[in-house]
Amino acid sequence: MSCEEDIRQNTIRQFGFLEDSFKVVRPRRLSAEVTRDRFSEVFDFLVHQEKFNILCTITGIDEGSDLGFIYHLAREGGITLNLKTRAPKSDPAIRTITAVFPGAEIYEREIVDLFGAQVQGLRKGSRYPLTDDWPADEYPLRKDWKDK
Amino acid sequence: MKIVRKIINWARIKSPWILHFNSGACNACDIEIVAALTPLYDVERFGVQLKGTPRHADVLVCSGPVTKQIQDRLKRIYDQMPEPKFVVAVGACACGGGVFKGCYNVRGGIDEVIPVSAYIPGCPAGPKAIIDGVVKLLASLEETKKPSVPDAKRQDKTEDGAGTDKETNSGDAP
Repeated sequence: MSCEEDIRQNTIRQFGFLEDSFKVVRPRRLSAEVTRDRFSEVFDFLVHQEKFNILCTITGIDEGSDLGFIYHLAREGGITLNLKTRAPKSDPAIRTITAVFPGAEIYEREIVDLFGAQVQGLRKGSRYPLTDDWPADEYPLRKDWKDK
Repeated sequence: MKIVRKIINWARIKSPWILHFNSGACNACDIEIVAALTPLYDVERFGVQLKGTPRHADVLVCSGPVTKQIQDRLKRIYDQMPEPKFVVAVGACACGGGVFKGCYNVRGGIDEVIPVSAYIPGCPAGPKAIIDGVVKLLASLEETKKPSVPDAKRQDKTEDGAGTDKETNSGDAP
């Protein structure tokens, strides 16, 4: 069995609800989707047990009523995993991953500034990457945002 | 006093020290500016030297659109330069925003924030175009003796127009 299939089987054995969404897209490319409330445990399992110890970046997506967040993880052997989670725009709160990846702080700040997500546990700091005088309730990468 | 001014103007034209500032460019114009400073194009024959601080520079060579983050810094650097000062906008983005015009984080061209003396279009502007633009700026100082910059114009006016004979004499005396 290939290494990708091993990772998939190990993860599904631990978290049965991932059976449908955990896919081997093609060799060395995995993707999974997890709900917001189960995200932390799945994330911790993948990072610590399955040795996905590189965070490439975090992508934010405006999906209409939801905000999507894709965590691009990588491990040795050139295997990457796109772990996706969602949060409704009415309550766009996710948990920080800076305890595991301290460098993720700038990605999370970008999500906060550009998409208007709330990252719980992210330490306080100045605005990044927008200017300090940017209006508080405007998020330029949301699809309904218009330049005034 | 007129002779002194002539000498100062001559010296200024023969040694325009420049400061290169990237206000949000994609790096292409920066590479071309650096290429223009190499011995291959040899701008030092015009007396052009790259300086590390705005306090030593006569010409501010700007590349790229002005982002909202950089506009205060650009203004501050411009204010640090001694008079008379000139700004050269290098590249399409510096001239009017280019492809970045209308972005949420971009203010526009250089002239939205500070007065510009010379515009050099191109994407990117080549070293030859940059040298041509700088030389034309210097030539305009030589011919008209009234540079096209608003600040420099004002200075000329106070020295030539507003100054009476009496003041000119008192200036000549020492």
